[in-house]
Formats: sequence, structure tokens, C-alpha cells
Amino acid sequence: MSTPIEVPWRVLPDYRCFGCSPSNEHGLRLEFTHAGEGIECVLRVDRTFESYPGVVHGGIATTVCDEIMGNLLVLKVGNSVFTTTLRTRYLSPLSVGVEYRCVATADAVGPESEPPYRAYAEIVDPDGAVCVTAVGTYQPATAAQVRDRMDLTDHEAELIENALADLRKA
Amino acid sequence: MSEEVITTVTEIVAGEFGLPVAAIGPDVDLSTLEGADSVKVLRSVAKIERTYDIELEDDQVFGLKTVRDAATLVVSTLAEKEPSGGGR
Repeated sequence: MSTPIEVPWRVLPDYRCFGCSPSNEHGLRLEFTHAGEGIECVLRVDRTFESYPGVVHGGIATTVCDEIMGNLLVLKVGNSVFTTTLRTRYLSPLSVGVEYRCVATADAVGPESEPPYRAYAEIVDPDGAVCVTAVGTYQPATAAQVRDRMDLTDHEAELIENALADLRKA
Repeated sequence: MSEEVITTVTEIVAGEFGLPVAAIGPDVDLSTLEGADSVKVLRSVAKIERTYDIELEDDQVFGLKTVRDAATLVVSTLAEKEPSGGGR
């Protein structure tokens, strides 16, 4: 099994991302691993995230796609990114308690790419059938914009910027 | 219309329906294919969108009956994506 990817936000002691923080008890606690040129995560949710009985809420599926695409782009370009458009196509419902895989790709994006960045995600069932597809467009944020938009202390902002700078060097 | 688009769409539909390419003529009603269901059509549409990097509207998607319909929609959507030019 692949080693989980350390997303840059983990340098913050109180990082609570609904999608990927391991310490948000109400969140999805997604863990990302490398998958070819993209990344993937396992999605398995309980009835907390239900819509119809036994069916995973569609908003959760979209959130997972957004989360994984955004993190993939951050890892690729070494900057925070914000979603500007997001489009989800639901092919079949997801079931509560079933283990799905969500895979994100952004083959055309690299450190030198011009924004906006485009990424793709798919949620796949245990038989390999695609249940959800998504495409998102993202804009990077400068260090100053990060400082302005996020509730960070100076020290936290520096930690984040250093972690992102490490990604840009990699 | 580009024969290449028809060929590509046929291959995608064949893959999603689990049928040989030869079983899917461009004017065959997709709902009459063996094992046809709306999910297979939607999966085909999702793959077509990804292949051509286009976004199709649901009212267009649910009106598709044949591979030729889908290929026509791909071609017209791609044409709309072309820069309109005419600036200075």
C-alpha cells in the first residue's frame, strides 16, 4: 500500500479541513496516495453523510472530487488554489458503507502552467465502474492572497508558504 | 461530419456497453442494444466529454439516440469552443 501524501496544510497544528484533516471529527478524513501522474483516495462513509436511506449524499461526492482535485493541483504547482468552477456528473448513486476509490488527474498542469488550472476526478466502485465524474477549474492564490483570505497568524502563514515553497522546489 | 469522431464515439460506446464495435452502427438506436440502460449511456457521455474536453448539457445528452447523434453533438460543441476571433 502506498504511503499517504503529506498535504502542506499538515504543518498547521490546528488544521481542520473538512475533506482531509485527520483531526476533524466531523470531516471525511481523506488520505491521498500517488496514482500514476495523479492521486487517489478511498471513500467510504457511514450514514452521517446519507441522503436517501443507504445512499451517499451527492454533495459529499462532489466535495470529495473537489477536495482531491484541489489537493492534486496544490501538489503540482506549489501554490494554494481556489475552486472557480466545478461540474459533477452523477452516473450512479453511491451506497453507504461501500468502499469507493476517487482518482484525480491533471495531466496538462505543471509548475510552469498558466492558470486557470483544470483537473478531473472520478469515483469508481469496487468493480471498477465509474459512478461519478467531475471537472474543476482552479485559480492559484499568491502568498499575499492566502494571508488575506485565510485566518492565519503570521507564523502559520510562514509555515504554509514554506511548505508550498518546498513543493515548488521538488 | 468527421468520420474520426464517429469512430471514436463508436469505440467509447462499445466499451461502455461491452459490445463489439461492429455491433454498433452509427444509426443504431442505442436503447435497442443488448443490455442497454441509461447508466451505460451516461458513462459513454462522461467518457466522450473527457476524451474531447467538452461539457454537454443534460437536455442534449438525454436526447441522444444514436452514435451519429452523439458525434454530431461533439462536432458542434467543439466548433463552439473555437475562438471566435475578430478582435482588432
